[in-house]
Amino acid sequence: MVNPVLLIAVPLGLAFSIPLFGFISRRIEKYIPVAGMLFNLVLSIILVPKVLQSPIVISIGGFRPPFCINLVAGTVGVFLSVVIAAMGFLVSIYSLSYIKEGATEKYHMLFLLLLTGATGVVLTGDIFNLFVFYEILCISSYALVAYPGSREGIEAGVKYLIQGALGSSLVLIAIALIYGQFGTLNMADIARNISSIHSMNIFLPFVLLIGGLGIEAAIFPLNAWLPDAHSSAPSSISAILSGIAIKIGVYAIARMVFTVFGISDTFLFLVTLGLITLLVGELSAFKQQNIKRMLAYSSIGQIGLIVFALGIATPGGVAGGLFQILSHALSKGLLFLAVGYMIYRTGSMEISSLAGMGKRMPFTSLAFTVGAFSLVGLPPFIGFSSKFMVIKAAMAKGSAIFVVLAALVLFAAIIEGAYFFRVVQIIYFKKSDNALKREEAPPTAIIPIAILVTLIIVIGIYPNFLIGLLNSAGSEFLNRVQYIRGVLG
Amino acid sequence: MTFLVDHIYYIGCFGLILIGMYIILAKSNLIKVIIGLSILDTGVNLLLIAIGYINGGTAPIFSRPGIEANGMVDPVPQALVLTAIVIGVAVLALALSLAIRLYRHYGTLNLRKIKGQKW
Repeated sequence: MVNPVLLIAVPLGLAFSIPLFGFISRRIEKYIPVAGMLFNLVLSIILVPKVLQSPIVISIGGFRPPFCINLVAGTVGVFLSVVIAAMGFLVSIYSLSYIKEGATEKYHMLFLLLLTGATGVVLTGDIFNLFVFYEILCISSYALVAYPGSREGIEAGVKYLIQGALGSSLVLIAIALIYGQFGTLNMADIARNISSIHSMNIFLPFVLLIGGLGIEAAIFPLNAWLPDAHSSAPSSISAILSGIAIKIGVYAIARMVFTVFGISDTFLFLVTLGLITLLVGELSAFKQQNIKRMLAYSSIGQIGLIVFALGIATPGGVAGGLFQILSHALSKGLLFLAVGYMIYRTGSMEISSLAGMGKRMPFTSLAFTVGAFSLVGLPPFIGFSSKFMVIKAAMAKGSAIFVVLAALVLFAAIIEGAYFFRVVQIIYFKKSDNALKREEAPPTAIIPIAILVTLIIVIGIYPNFLIGLLNSAGSEFLNRVQYIRGVLG
Repeated sequence: MTFLVDHIYYIGCFGLILIGMYIILAKSNLIKVIIGLSILDTGVNLLLIAIGYINGGTAPIFSRPGIEANGMVDPVPQALVLTAIVIGVAVLALALSLAIRLYRHYGTLNLRKIKGQKW
């Protein structure tokens, strides 16, 4: 029997052993995140067929669920842990040669801790345990944003830290209020008893939770830190922050709204919030001159789309939202990894300096184009299938308001197309003054980029093999009675 | 008056939380903002303790005869606070070390003067 605890315990143990390995040899420390994430990837994929039958509930400490800290490896949790492990594995291969300067052992340790925290959040069934893993994720990402020690990096790190720490405090206040009313921290137990409490008494903890977790998820009024943090971090970290870290905030909000509180009145609010986030993100991305800032604002837009899809709250909508999480993680990860070496070669983050890249780094430019087209939602790529699923779910809702909202989502996709096509045009068609010598990225960057391109095209052409998993995950979110019964027996 | 006596812990901790939030929002010196974060953390920890406390309660250990279970405080919030304090210390240490680096780059800790990143 494969135990989901290992998904958290093994990377956590490896992360803290990295300085020890550093004593033995400075060479091997950078291979440890690769090993840890490969282990997680294999284990999560082995778990997928098992959790499709029934969720695995692990009690720690030998007590029965309401009295212990428990892990709930449902389909949502295992699906997201596959995404986290896959992205972590590819980015850790990329980091092998990309991260050369500074305290490299600290980078690798924090990187592994970030992914451990993310895996912990998606697997836990205990609200305070969720907070602890969320803090592991946040603290390591503050440190990683500031890791290069540059002027911009430190400033972005400070901004991120102040806003993030405020958000975590709000989450902790909400947990205190919930514990005061229910006397339990188990999410299933809270969900079972939530209808016995007057709705005014759960309003304050609910708002504090959405606000606090919304800061990490970068939902519209709370997203001021994101463009700075994602554009100043090293590109490998930007890929993880955009691909994984903000999704964890969205997952936590969805878990609270769907499973713990189960308030259906908030769905329209979530849909509106998601749509505003989408439009604000895409419009801000449109006017950026800095390529990484543009990608960061585009991440805000995509988070808006995910929140929009989850807020539709039909099986198709939630499954579409989860599919969009996968599609955005792969596409944005690919874009940041490709842009990382382009910036490294040109030494500038301005979009205009990318001119002539199509001849200088042909493969990386091609990969960038695939990622950009996938994000915009062009057919053979994964972005098309996920956006199609979201729009289909919105239209199937049937009411006139959702038709208008779906039209606005498509309008945002046009803006997205406008700025991504502009970059692609500059890469391929604009004449460059520099000498056009071919200098491709090193193999450690080419391999993860090639794997991501393959995944984007393969899943884009044949999305059906994921549909069963996504539908099962969607019903886990929507069917709270089944979740409660699965955990408490 | 009895309301005040009954709820003094809650008034105190929400007071600390609001003071902390005010400092974070209104002050422009980074060190003061970090102090605000620390006050906010203390308020939250106090709230957690206050939720599990009962007047005249003892530790939940049957250390001597005559102790009854309904006179014991709830031990879970205290365990939570212990974790929350450790997390708070980590955030505070990271914030202060970033403040040192920020001062080396900009020569000031006034957040209104640090505008390297365009909004």
